[in-house]
Amino acid sequence: MKKILLFCSAGMSTSLMVTKMRKAAEKKNIDVTIDAFPEAEMAKHLDGTDVVLLGPQIRYAYKRAQKLCEPKNIPVALINSVDYGMMDGEKVLDFAMSLI
Amino acid sequence: MSKLDKLEDKVMPVADKVANNRYLISIRDGFYLAMPLLIIGAICCLIAYFPAQGFLDFMAGIFGAQWNDFFTVTYHASMAIMTIFVVLGISYSLSNIYKQDGLSTAVIALVAFFILTPFTTSFTPEGSKAVYQVSSVIPLEWIGSKGLFVGMFSAIFATEIVHWVYKHGWEIKMPAGVPPTVAKAFSSLIPGTITLVLFSVLRLIFVYTPYGTLDNFIYTILQMPLTALGDTLGATLVANIFICLFWLFGIAGADVVGSVMNPIWYALAAENLTAFNESSTLPHVITYQFNSVYLWIGGAGCTLALCLVLMTMCKSEQCKKIGKLAILPGLFNINEPVTFGLPIVLNPIMAIPFLLNPIVLCLLTYFLISVGIVPAPNGVMIPWTTPVVLGGFLISGVRGAIWQAIEVVITFFIYLPFIKIIDKQYCEQEKAAKAEPEAD
Repeated sequence: MKKILLFCSAGMSTSLMVTKMRKAAEKKNIDVTIDAFPEAEMAKHLDGTDVVLLGPQIRYAYKRAQKLCEPKNIPVALINSVDYGMMDGEKVLDFAMSLI
Repeated sequence: MSKLDKLEDKVMPVADKVANNRYLISIRDGFYLAMPLLIIGAICCLIAYFPAQGFLDFMAGIFGAQWNDFFTVTYHASMAIMTIFVVLGISYSLSNIYKQDGLSTAVIALVAFFILTPFTTSFTPEGSKAVYQVSSVIPLEWIGSKGLFVGMFSAIFATEIVHWVYKHGWEIKMPAGVPPTVAKAFSSLIPGTITLVLFSVLRLIFVYTPYGTLDNFIYTILQMPLTALGDTLGATLVANIFICLFWLFGIAGADVVGSVMNPIWYALAAENLTAFNESSTLPHVITYQFNSVYLWIGGAGCTLALCLVLMTMCKSEQCKKIGKLAILPGLFNINEPVTFGLPIVLNPIMAIPFLLNPIVLCLLTYFLISVGIVPAPNGVMIPWTTPVVLGGFLISGVRGAIWQAIEVVITFFIYLPFIKIIDKQYCEQEKAAKAEPEAD
């Protein structure tokens, strides 16, 4: 079971992305848990996480996220903005899985 | 594109600096911790003084004239003493950044804030002109909206002192074997003492100034000028133009600009709510909700109308698809599907209405509130995700709701000609793609 976490400023638009990704995971029979949180809460959700994705609109928080994730060996990446806009759950899920 | 790229190189470092400043982050996160309580308290205040006389009469008829005590007490226990939560929240967040114990530092910061707060209040008995100083009280005014900036200052300064003391290793170290909880209690003893002594000295110094207290000083020198500036049309226009500019580069603008403006906008809202609770004239036109309710319908740039245009007036599959995808989140003022999907980001054609909308709406709304056609926002802290019409009703009553609906119509027509251009482009692209399916 892999754990994917998404972050954006308030965890609102990423939670939309999460529902799309969960659907894609179900379809592909991939065993994952996916959740979205506000970027401010990142530190307390990281334990046991396999990959962290950031909404493109908070790319200024990328370095800060890296600082939190690196000691725990969690890969961090920005979600492609076109995939994010189209809420393409499948593509973003594939992207997340490729990072683990 | 190259020009836009160059501009982006200029915009990113600004966003980077502002959004990663540790004090601004801890103030943001501090308010974030306090926000649920502020929303509950504000809603209680709203119910107690609901903008519909019929409702008030109805409740008084059933529960008696004192029915609203039930809600005002909750308001007084939450929103009216908001600075306490804000101090705790900011100090806790900043402590987390410094990786020191959050709770013990936050408590030290709260005590530091109380040292600066005068435990007296002035009281004029009914029918008398003499003003009495009453001691042994914690004055609501200084732990409510008026104390916000003092609170921010105390939280940050106290946490910095504690951090400085820890950094120099000045703490009582217990021998191994002492239970960690006991050791922890002692470890904050020295930083706590130093912080509180420094704050006491600070308090003492201000007794000898014309301001009397540091609370008064910060309120007069910092909070009043900043809120007065924040309450101007000019500052609001500039802030909103920046929000949209950041979004045009795909950066969450309200967050970047908000880290500077939110404390001011919250303070303005809190001052309005205090007046609303006392049934006196609302002092400010601009508050946080002036922006979130009247200028960000559907998200920055008023994109709810854009979703409607996409759904109803477009021919290309791309536009229709995005409109359908974006309308539901748009109702809750989340607009990433349109900003990144259409896209608006780095799109010079869409940049025009996206920037124009907040300017037009800001000018119109400011005018309507100033002349009294729409009531000023009552300062109730409703979440920015509150849907259109409901939001307007909650902060300005029925006229607020109607104005929000009109705003959607206005922005619909501002977006329309620009979307037509985009839609035509997409239609041609789609036609071309159909004609030669292997064109990729």
